[in-house]
Amino acid sequence: MKTFRLAIVENDEDERFFMSEALRASGEFQILGEFGNGDQLTEWLYASPKELPELILSDLNMPGKNGYDVIDELKTTHPDIAVFATSTSSVVSTREKCIRAGARDFIAKPDIFIVYDAFVAELYRLACRYLGT
Amino acid sequence: MHLNSNLIFRDFAEGIFLLDETGKITTCNAAASAITGYQDIDITGKPLYAIGDGHDDPIKYRYELDQALKRRKFVAEGWKLRKDGTRYWAETSYSPVFDESEGLAGYCVLLRDITEQKNKQIGLLESEERYRLMVEAIRDYSIFMLDPEGNVVTWNEGGTFIHGYAESEILGRHFSVFYTAADLLDDKPQKKLQMARDNGSYREEGWRVKKDGSLFWANVVLTALFSDRNALIGYSKVTRDLTGRLKEEEILRQSEARYRSLVEQVGDYGIFMLDTKGRIISWNEGARRIKGYSAEDVIGKYFSIFYPEEDILNGKPGWELKVARATGKYEEEGWRLRKDGSRFWANVVITAVYDAEGRLSGFSKVTRDLTERKMSEQALQESSDKYRQLAQELSVANNELSSVNSELEQFTAIVSHDLKEPVRTVRSFLYLMDQHVDQQKFNLLKPSIGKGILAAQRMHELIDNLLHYSQISKSGLQRQKLDVEEVIGEAIQNLNDAIEQSDAQIRVDSGVPFIYGDRVQLVQLFQNLLANALKFTNGRKPEVELKSWMEDGRVRFVVEDNGIGISPENLEKIFEIFRRLHFASQYPGNGVGLAVCKKVVERHRGTIWAESEQGKGAAFHIMLPKI
Repeated sequence: MKTFRLAIVENDEDERFFMSEALRASGEFQILGEFGNGDQLTEWLYASPKELPELILSDLNMPGKNGYDVIDELKTTHPDIAVFATSTSSVVSTREKCIRAGARDFIAKPDIFIVYDAFVAELYRLACRYLGT
Repeated sequence: MHLNSNLIFRDFAEGIFLLDETGKITTCNAAASAITGYQDIDITGKPLYAIGDGHDDPIKYRYELDQALKRRKFVAEGWKLRKDGTRYWAETSYSPVFDESEGLAGYCVLLRDITEQKNKQIGLLESEERYRLMVEAIRDYSIFMLDPEGNVVTWNEGGTFIHGYAESEILGRHFSVFYTAADLLDDKPQKKLQMARDNGSYREEGWRVKKDGSLFWANVVLTALFSDRNALIGYSKVTRDLTGRLKEEEILRQSEARYRSLVEQVGDYGIFMLDTKGRIISWNEGARRIKGYSAEDVIGKYFSIFYPEEDILNGKPGWELKVARATGKYEEEGWRLRKDGSRFWANVVITAVYDAEGRLSGFSKVTRDLTERKMSEQALQESSDKYRQLAQELSVANNELSSVNSELEQFTAIVSHDLKEPVRTVRSFLYLMDQHVDQQKFNLLKPSIGKGILAAQRMHELIDNLLHYSQISKSGLQRQKLDVEEVIGEAIQNLNDAIEQSDAQIRVDSGVPFIYGDRVQLVQLFQNLLANALKFTNGRKPEVELKSWMEDGRVRFVVEDNGIGISPENLEKIFEIFRRLHFASQYPGNGVGLAVCKKVVERHRGTIWAESEQGKGAAFHIMLPKI
C-alpha cells in the first residue's frame, strides 16, 4: 500500500496534535514535518531537506504566512508539491477560492478535532486520486 | 359739200369693211387699211377671214355671219394678223345690211384694234391670278373671304389645313361653323362682323372649332372690305393656329405655376425672395406659419424685421447679404423673431439669385424653424445628462452595494473561520474531557478545562472586536472641525500606560492645525497606529514621530516608528481584518487594529498605506481631504 510523504501546516497546537496522531495511526502517511505557519514551512523548504513532501496539508487561518500564502508561494517555488487546504469553514466559496489560488483540493476540518479518522481517509482517497497509488 | 354716205365711209375713224351677201369683201375704208395693212384692192372679193389670224376657217365664218343675221349684231374678239404679220387684238362687229325690199344686201363690219386695252386687262388678270395662287398656296394661314352676310366665298390651302374643311365643303357656308357652341350662344360671329365693319378690322385670339370638332387656339384678323364706292363687299379673314405656341406657353406657365404653388404651399420651410436691397418680394405658406406674417404684412419690407435688435444693431442682416453676394450662399442657425415678438431658432440659407445675364437679381431665403428640434435635442441632452447622473448614482450605489457585499463576504469568512474556530476548540475539549471522565483519567481534565476556558475567552474578544469594527462602518460620521493636536493628544493620553511601560518617545510635529472629521474615530485611528508602533519593537526603546502637512489641498499624516518593519509582501495584507503576521506568543493581538484604521480613513474619504524598509521601522501614511 502506498504511503504519502506529508508536511502539516497548522497553527493550533492541540489541533495539530490530534491531526498528526490520526494521520500516523492510519499508516498511510509519512509525516516529514509539522509547522505553525507558512513562514516556518518556507524556512524548512529553503533549508533543502533530504526528502521533500509529496503533499502539504495546510490550514488557512494562521498568523504570518497563512494558507493562501502557502498555496501561492509553493505554486512557483515547488509546483510539484500538491497543497491540500483545510479549514473549519464549510462555506463553498472557501473551497473554490483555494482551488482557484492553486490548491489541489480542500477538505473541511472535522466538527471536533479529536475525531480525525474520516478526515484522514478522505485525504488519502484524494491523494491517491491526484498523485496516483 | 354735202354729207353723204360715201364721204362718211371714206373718212370714218374706225375701220369699216363692206361685205356682199355671201360675206366677200367688196370694199374697206382707209382706217381699215391702216389697221390691217391691206389696201382695198388687195382684199376685194376675199372673205373676211382672209385678214384673220392666218388660219382660214370658213365654217366658223359662216356661223358668225349667220349669228349676225339672226341677232342683227355679232361681236367677236380675237387675234388677227396684219399684212406685215404682226398681231393685234381685234374687236370685230358684224351688222347685216338690208335693201329696200328687206332682202339681205350684205354686211357692214366694224374692226377695232383694241390690243392696248386687252393687254391692260390681261396684266390685271395675271396679277389677280398670282395673288389668288399665292393666297391659295399659303398653308400656315387660313385666308378666305366672306360675303357681307358672313358666308365663305373663297378658301385656301391654309384653311383646309387649319380648319379641316376642303374648299368644296366650306364654300357658301356661314363662317360661324368655326365658332364654339359657347361663342355661338353669345352670338359672337355676328358681333365680330359688326366690330370689323365699325372699326375696319377686328383681331382676337380665342378657341375655334375644327371640322372634326377639336379646338385650336386661333389668332384671327377679320377685315371689312369696302368697294371704291364705300359699300361693304365682304370680309377677309386670316386665321393662324397658335395652339403649338400656346402649348409651349401653357407648359411654361403651368411649370411656373406649379413651382410657384409648390413654393407657396410648402408649409415647413419659409421660402421667400428678396430683391437686391433685401426687401421681401415674395412670401409663402411656410414663411407665414413660421414667422406669423401674412404676405401683405411683409412684401416690400426689409427682411431685417425678423432679426433681434442686437443683430440689427450689429448690421447682421446686411452682412449676411454681403456674404451671400460674395460667396453665393450664406447659412447659419440663430434666433429670429416672429410677428408676435417670440423667438424661434432658425436654420437660414440665403442664396444669391442671378438672371440669365449673370446680374444679381436678388436673394432667395429659406428658413426652417428648428426650435422644436433644438428643444427636443436639449431635452434629449438633459435626459441624457439625467441618465448619466442616474447611472453615476447607480454606479455609486453599486459600488456601495458591492463594498457592502464584500463586507458581508468578509463577515461570512470571519464567522466561518475566526469565530467558528474557538467554538470548535471549546467543543473539542468538552468531548475530550468526556472521554477522560469515561476513562477515569481525571488528572487529564485540568489542562483541557484550561484550554477550553482560553478558547472561550478568545471567542469573547473576537466578538467584541468584530462588533467594534462593524460599529465604525455602521454609525454615522460626526463630522466637525477638530484641533489636530487635541486629537493626537487624546490618542496619546489613552496610551499613557503603554508609553510609560515602554519608555517610548513620541514626537508630534503637526503642520496642519485643523481638520474636519469624526473625533472618536480619528482618535481611534491615531491610537491604533501609535499602539502598533509601541508594540512591534525589537526590544529597543520605541521612537515615534507623528507629522502632518498640506499636500495638493489634502492633509498628509505620517506615523513613523523604529520598530521591526514590515516585509514588502505584507504591506497590504496587514490591513485585512483578523490578519496577523505574528504568533500571539510573540506579539499579542487580535488582527483588528489596522483594519479599523483602514475603515476610519476610508470613511473619511482618504487613503492609508504603509511604507517600510526591512529593519528600519515602518511608516504609515494617511491622506485625508481637508474638509
